[in-house]
Amino acid sequence: MKIIVLMKQVPDTETKIQVKPGETAISTDGVTFVINPYDEFAIEEALRIKEAKGGDVTLITLGWDKAAEALRTGLAMGADKAVHLNDPAFLTNDAHSIALALSKTLKKLQYDLILCGKQAIDYDNHQIGVRVAEMLGIPHVAVVTKLVLEDGKAVAHREIEGGTEVVETPLPAIITCQKGLNEPRYASLKGIMQAKKKPLEAKKVADVDASPGEVGQAGAKTVVLTLTMPPDRAAGKVVEGEPEDAARQVVKLLREEAKVI
Amino acid sequence: MDFTIPEEIEILRRSLRKFIEKEVLPMEEKADFDPDEGVPQELLKKVRIRSHDLGFWGIDMPEQYGGGGLNTMGTVIMREEVSKYFSSLTQSIFGGPEGPSKILLAGTEAQIQKYLVPVVKGEQSCCFALTEPNAGSDAASIETSAVRDGDEWVINGLKHFITNGPYADYAIVFAVTDREKRARGGITCFIVEKGTPGLSTGKIQRTMGGGDSQCELIFEDCRVPHENVLGEVGMGFIAAMTFLGGGRLNIAAGAVGMTEKLLKASVEYAKQRVQFGKPIATRQAIQWMLADIATELYAARNMVYHTAWRIDQGEMMVKEIAMSKLYATELVNRAADVAVQVHGGMGYMKELPIERVYRGVRALRIVEGTSEIQRFIIARSLLQE
Ligand SMILES: Cc1cc2nc3c(=O)[nH]c(=O)nc-3n(C[C@H](O)[C@H](O)[C@H](O)COP(=O)(O)OP(=O)(O)OC[C@H]3O[C@@H](n4cnc5c(N)ncnc54)[C@H](O)[C@@H]3O)c2cc1C
Repeated sequence: MKIIVLMKQVPDTETKIQVKPGETAISTDGVTFVINPYDEFAIEEALRIKEAKGGDVTLITLGWDKAAEALRTGLAMGADKAVHLNDPAFLTNDAHSIALALSKTLKKLQYDLILCGKQAIDYDNHQIGVRVAEMLGIPHVAVVTKLVLEDGKAVAHREIEGGTEVVETPLPAIITCQKGLNEPRYASLKGIMQAKKKPLEAKKVADVDASPGEVGQAGAKTVVLTLTMPPDRAAGKVVEGEPEDAARQVVKLLREEAKVI
Repeated sequence: MDFTIPEEIEILRRSLRKFIEKEVLPMEEKADFDPDEGVPQELLKKVRIRSHDLGFWGIDMPEQYGGGGLNTMGTVIMREEVSKYFSSLTQSIFGGPEGPSKILLAGTEAQIQKYLVPVVKGEQSCCFALTEPNAGSDAASIETSAVRDGDEWVINGLKHFITNGPYADYAIVFAVTDREKRARGGITCFIVEKGTPGLSTGKIQRTMGGGDSQCELIFEDCRVPHENVLGEVGMGFIAAMTFLGGGRLNIAAGAVGMTEKLLKASVEYAKQRVQFGKPIATRQAIQWMLADIATELYAARNMVYHTAWRIDQGEMMVKEIAMSKLYATELVNRAADVAVQVHGGMGYMKELPIERVYRGVRALRIVEGTSEIQRFIIARSLLQE
């Protein structure tokens, strides 16, 4: 079974995000970067399938030089090889042009199953898996919490409002992974050392048969105009007095100030 | 000069952090024990075994014996990391004197297989028995004796303050085999298994830091086979000093991690505690305490890292290890003191972990060579140079 995992390097969830005035991307000063947590579910699921059924796992990321570290972390977890779309002409936060670059890369590869996170926790677009599936013309199941593979098909449980939907899809297909699917393993020292010897291939725009105008910022369908930090939360208000009066005051505030009732 | 921490160490550190935050801390919370009474042994064993399965336990031991083969630089960074938590369990991820000990590498292949390997696997634990009531800093003056009798040695004497003594599967014991030679060829190291007739544990020695891991070990005509001599007869003292040297840098690294945690807790509390209408962090008196600790932390960390790096380049770093141990352990005591002061009464209350850390770090200026002994080592090498 040939499994491909699409993954992204994102700021550590514990990082304090900062935006410099006038910039349209977050500041990377002093920020540590990790594998997007939802992509870790995808990697873990791929490794479990490989361990159960045999095959190999290929990781693909699009990102700056430093993103190779995320790929090597995935290799250390147990993936077999990695592809790094590493070209300034690929870089963008636009979902369309990222998905296009990834799908062009995938067209040149063999796969039975593609896994990725349901979203990246940096820009929270929830777009890549679904868009890539459309561009490749293959089915997708999104927000999956359980995956069972059978001959030539997959049965996926996905979270929907108030319940679980069970979907069957032929393979190849794209599955976007949700928390609960599994508990990702940690990269061990042994795995980290082995990862150094695994193939990690860097690709430029020309290598995936894309033209510079259609991927990266040049091919973007959206433009980030401004990026600002949320305003500081205003201090809370303490209502004092006898319960009866206080309740009356609270209702008044909810109605007139907060305008929520 | 490149001061970048190698990527593989960063990846490993991240794995370690996940292990701590997803498994170890929740385990500790669930177990709900009073660390002053001692950490339940089953829990320690559970952490050890899981840590071994993940490749952390024994990480600096040679790969051929089931270890991770990690270098000194990596090891100190991992030791630093596990100390960045107010936790009684994270220290068991790599272990102390109860864990895999490099001194056993001086043994025969058979000894290594029989004694070291089970400890590397986390299945057994050991203890290091050097100190005696009349011989602490002056370890060469130990009185415990071993006399050869055919194929056996007969050990008599008393050891005290022995960490993990009550629970160890075997003890690494130092005894005088030649009164004339002593440190220069007259002290021998023995492996004595738990349950050997003549070996008993004396009283549990409760400590300021809490717990029940220190005790006396009593040897009364305790017979051990000659094959349990570790290394060469008479060479035990030199082996002990070499072993302690390596351990000291790990202690320094732990002190660095703990200082960072104490500083972080103090900074957070200072920003949020309001008195006289303003956060106490706005007062210069508080700021200067924090600034001083931060400055010394920067120095201590770089001492430890640089020493580790030079060891990995193959240098003998006796003086610098002593400097790192001295400076970092003295610092963490100042950092704990500042943390209590910044937290005020809350710092003294059992409700917060600060007071326990304050008590715990006091031992670091005493164990594996007191601060005075470190200064003695530093001065000795200065005067010899
Ligand atoms: C929590 C804990 C765990 C321990 N675990 C172990 C263990 O597992 N195995 C083991 O063998 N031992 C263990 N020890 C013992 C420890 O190694 C000794 O306590 C330490 O070496 C100091 O010896 P001492 O207590 O006899 O103090 P002493 O040597 O009596 O020192 C008393 C004071 O005199 C100072 N002093 C001594 N000599 C000189 C000198 N020449 N010049 C200037 N000052 C000097 C010392 O620095 C100290 O301030 C442990 C101790 C503690 C507290």
